[in-house]
Amino acid sequence: MLVGSGVELILIGGVAGFAHGSARLTQDIDFVYRRNEENLMRLAEALKPHHPYLRGAPPGLPFKFDAETLKRGLNFTLTSDLGDIDLLGEVTGGGTYEDLAPQCEKLDVYGQPVLCLTLPLLIATKRAAGRPKDFEAIAELEALEEERRATGDL
Amino acid sequence: MTSARLPYEPDPVIEAYKKDVDRTLLRENLKLTPTQRLDKLSSLQSFAAELRRAGKAARAAQQS
Repeated sequence: MLVGSGVELILIGGVAGFAHGSARLTQDIDFVYRRNEENLMRLAEALKPHHPYLRGAPPGLPFKFDAETLKRGLNFTLTSDLGDIDLLGEVTGGGTYEDLAPQCEKLDVYGQPVLCLTLPLLIATKRAAGRPKDFEAIAELEALEEERRATGDL
Repeated sequence: MTSARLPYEPDPVIEAYKKDVDRTLLRENLKLTPTQRLDKLSSLQSFAAELRRAGKAARAAQQS
């Protein structure tokens, strides 16, 4: 939906891992978004109808999801009618959209080209984050990388 | 599958976790296209949501 609206995003995190072949079930979808004016407006317009709201925040806060809010912040953990969405302006060990985009691969998802972190880059960013909760996920992604190398798929 | 070809140094902690990875699941997923994998994720998420709903309903029934 977001990609179809021309929003410049990179798929990262668990869903990116799943797209590469991971078997770990994930609840939210994580994106790195481009932080230029045009893209902030496109992103706000595309997501607004799906009622994005700060995840975990008490209801009723005066949260307005628009380009200005996106500009003032960087990383947003949101709940929405589409599900839980994390929008990251920057990712540890990977940097910004501009840093990551040249190293990403284009996946054909439902007929749409979706920029996705490559499997080695996904592993590198998770390693850089250094969170103990990611150890199992990193192990699985590295095993996946080994399987893909063994079959000449990487 | 030699780690020498990998773009990073093996981490002993990760290597320990790796022993428990079910590679049969990975091999099955690698037979699918990215779209098919995401369809599978979506089905699993729907199933998980239904289980969560059923669990909540069962707990509510026990309490009443």
